[in-house]
Amino acid sequence: MQDALTTFFSQFEPVPWLCYLFPVLALGILIRCAVSLLTFRPEPEVWAWLTTPDGAHIPVTHWESLVGRGAGCDVQLGYPTVSRTHAVLTRYDDGSWTISDAHSKSGVFVNGKQTALSALRFGDVITMGGVNFTLIPLTKEQERIQAGTRTRAGHAVHQAPTLLLLTLFQLLTAVQLILGGCGPALELTAFGGLIALEWALYLALRAFRRTGFEAETLAFFLCTMGLAVVSSSAPESLVKELLAIVAGVCVFLVVCWSLRDLERAKAVRYLAAVAGIGLLAFNLLFGVEKFGARNWLQLGGVSFQPSEFVKVCFIYVGASTLSRLMAKRNIVLFIAYSAVICACLALMKDFGTAVIFFVAFLVIAFLRSGNFATIALAIAATGFAGVLVLRFLPYARNRFEAWGHVWDYALTTGYSQTRSMMCIASGGLFGLGPGKGWLKYVAASDTDLVFAFVSEEWGLFMAVLMVACIVILACFVVRSAPAGRSCFYTIGACAAVTVMVTQTILNVFGMADFLPLTGVTFPFVSNGGSSMVCVWGLLAFVKAADTRQNASVAIRVPHGVTPLPEEPDAEEPAADEPAPETPDAVWQRPNGKEARG
Amino acid sequence: MKKVSRRALFALALAAVLAVGTLAFCVKYAANAEKWVTFSGSPHVYTGTNLTGGRIYDRSGVRILNTTDGRVYSDDEAVREATVHLLGDRYGYISAPLLGNFAEQMIGYDKITGLNEASKGTASARLTISAEVQKAALQALGSYHGAVGVYNYKTGEILCAVTSPSYDPDNIPDIAGDETGAYDGVYLNRFFDAAYTPGSIFKLVTSAAALEKSASAQTGTHTCTGKTIIGGQEIICMSSHGTLAMPEALAHSCNVYYGELAASLGKDALQAACDKLGFNGTLACDGYTARSTVDLSDADDGSVAWAGIGQYTDQITAVQFLRFMGVIANGGEAAEPYLMQKISRAGQTVYEAETKTTGRLLSEETAKALGDMMRGAVVNQYGAWQFGNLTVCAKSGTAERENGPADAMFAGFVQDEAYPLAFVVFAERGGSGSQTAAPIAAKVLAACKTMLDTPNPNG
Repeated sequence: MQDALTTFFSQFEPVPWLCYLFPVLALGILIRCAVSLLTFRPEPEVWAWLTTPDGAHIPVTHWESLVGRGAGCDVQLGYPTVSRTHAVLTRYDDGSWTISDAHSKSGVFVNGKQTALSALRFGDVITMGGVNFTLIPLTKEQERIQAGTRTRAGHAVHQAPTLLLLTLFQLLTAVQLILGGCGPALELTAFGGLIALEWALYLALRAFRRTGFEAETLAFFLCTMGLAVVSSSAPESLVKELLAIVAGVCVFLVVCWSLRDLERAKAVRYLAAVAGIGLLAFNLLFGVEKFGARNWLQLGGVSFQPSEFVKVCFIYVGASTLSRLMAKRNIVLFIAYSAVICACLALMKDFGTAVIFFVAFLVIAFLRSGNFATIALAIAATGFAGVLVLRFLPYARNRFEAWGHVWDYALTTGYSQTRSMMCIASGGLFGLGPGKGWLKYVAASDTDLVFAFVSEEWGLFMAVLMVACIVILACFVVRSAPAGRSCFYTIGACAAVTVMVTQTILNVFGMADFLPLTGVTFPFVSNGGSSMVCVWGLLAFVKAADTRQNASVAIRVPHGVTPLPEEPDAEEPAADEPAPETPDAVWQRPNGKEARG
Repeated sequence: MKKVSRRALFALALAAVLAVGTLAFCVKYAANAEKWVTFSGSPHVYTGTNLTGGRIYDRSGVRILNTTDGRVYSDDEAVREATVHLLGDRYGYISAPLLGNFAEQMIGYDKITGLNEASKGTASARLTISAEVQKAALQALGSYHGAVGVYNYKTGEILCAVTSPSYDPDNIPDIAGDETGAYDGVYLNRFFDAAYTPGSIFKLVTSAAALEKSASAQTGTHTCTGKTIIGGQEIICMSSHGTLAMPEALAHSCNVYYGELAASLGKDALQAACDKLGFNGTLACDGYTARSTVDLSDADDGSVAWAGIGQYTDQITAVQFLRFMGVIANGGEAAEPYLMQKISRAGQTVYEAETKTTGRLLSEETAKALGDMMRGAVVNQYGAWQFGNLTVCAKSGTAERENGPADAMFAGFVQDEAYPLAFVVFAERGGSGSQTAAPIAAKVLAACKTMLDTPNPNG
């Protein structure tokens, strides 16, 4: 069978003009995803109303809302006696609410009793600065209308055609690889498996009425390039890489499930903290050194990098809810945790990963504290530590020796980077063709130099599109942040996407000699099982911040509301419905601005 | 929540860094892609360190290399041996920067299509060397290691740039297993890359320095009693030359005279002359970088005297000395030597050499005086008969080396409008310059004359 396939395909030559079709297809896929992810209107969901003495209904649009007079508050109360930041309103998974005092001057009273933290029932009288407010729920009708009027994910750009485009892209990639001399049986298995996997995931999510598939499509696109790279560099690892993608999708679904429920996510956090440290400690004790870093574990014939999995744990630990943040619970514990992790990585000589954790730490610390001084202090301290490391550890210094002038060290420490640039130039914008590259003969080129690898065989244009995928994901997370339900998700998504961006920066800039080469993987593309599985786990955090209607399996549709049927007539809002009890004006302003003048 | 979502812009800033950096890389690509792809060792363009692409011809249109499909050298074994150092071998042992230097023109690279549309193999390059002269020069050197160079001091064309030992790239000898020393430094191009202790030929430099300082230096005399002590260091001559002026001192190569001349000049004047003539620096020649050093900064009087007779720490490459010969021959200013004449691709000329001048390095009077003295040395000492009807002006050198025979040197030029050729011959362990190196020069010049006299069918 295999021989027959090989004989069949050996009659044909690679199709030269196809190299111009790939970028067009890829660009089409990316544009469709980008339009869908970046042009939607962030529409916060209304979870309850806060009524004021003058009868206005202020929407509460997050699970954690800062209440006060200041402009930075989510629920802004224009009463001079109310403190700038007065209280935090928190909603729980089961629909219950609490209110806590955020160091206000006049305190928070519930039904006349002053409290620091108190459960809140609908109808309870909340007194702040001498003014009485009441929290009232949405009616079933309002919930239904809200679900109907919010723009459904994938409404403007349908997902199935994008996925069809990707499938076509993948089929052509497989054909081109086979015509370029790669084994047909292997290629068909790998790409067939990938296509089956993405459609299975898509249909499964559809079955759950989830219609947002853009982030997953981008990830699968990058995985396609990853498989193309592996086909050329190490065809024997193709099946392993496909299995890693399958495992990654499983991890993705598990993390999505764990994030669906905020209480569950918060519980998982403690487990993650212990697991993170445990994995690294285990690694330090039993680790194996590969490529100069002692960051590998060998378990029953399978080798993996625990530090990759710690990334997912780290984000669980770092993300936090607003109520905790406003309680001024300082972040010392988190800083200590981060320091321990970075120290473990330094001991493992895994500086690239240490940098990733450090940047993720910075982002989380900043999101939690908003304090530039803390960040500056952390950077200064780390810079100082970095100088010490460079001063005393010669192997670390060697890595920096050629930095910035690799062409002067073209045959020694700058070998990888100069070969990369030579090969990028050789490929031009459209590449030399699959399997025709030379870079595969350079050590670790299918991970550390994968940008150049894709450039050489598929063209610089395609490599730039890979970077664009990551940038699109980052922009999406930031864009959807204002509509986030809980800080936990926003911080988690920002941290996850920061890890991806940082990895891409270190990978691409290291190759391009803008930064020292640190041997960090390109998300979804680089050859390597652990990093593939981990990055799918990170993608789950991105999905958990995707609050577009019915977008994400990591988001539970509000309590008591069934997901909408396939094609809602969203264009017709509540025209025929009985008039809601609350002012219509609120619905006209879905961005959650208070209705009161 | 609002605060946190506003802080999320931090992540956006990071994404912006990624986007801007990637863009910056694309700009870098647009600006430098040609340099990257043609950089020495670029995998799709080079085999080892040697460019693969195009056909290479000598000045008469004889094909000496075809890299369209592998590396096919000349059919003539002797030509292969005499040119392999300029063309590079198949395995990258002999690095030949000449072709790499013109990689951009040879490859025809395009930033959009990369190497896909590159006209691999269709470029043809014409060198200034003559395969026949190369062959004659390598044969004339015989078993001596060393270098022979000839160039046209009016146009700059290098007719001959030979290094020995060499080998046939189509029939590689057992170099690693050789114990006779016949292949010592066989991968080195001694014409460009080997710096020699020049010995007596360096007296021309000392003479030039003295004449530039004062034209009357030619008539000033020193008395040689066979030896002298300068700055505590003893300098000896083969015989006691008596009282002599510069022309006789040059012809007899009197060490005492030149030691004392150098000492009286002083180290600053000698150093300045060496710097100006390029003997303390590099000469770039179509991808090769030759480096000579004459560094007198730590020299006392005795050392300056030794430096003046081409010893001390003086290290001179053949090509740089050849250029100096051209400068004397052409009245103090000559053409810079070059190897690549012309490259054409797809019927179009993409590169054509232009004659570049060295600029005025010596006054006309100095150049003429040196030329006359060199002519005198040939007539009175070496034997003008050796060179047939070519008016050769030259200086021999016998650079003493520890353990064994000295290096034989012979450098000069032809004083003839029809044959404006400067030449150098360095024969390691050749013994006497005038007895070993001069006959080699004579043979090479004869071959040059024959070649120049033969009408070139290929234009």
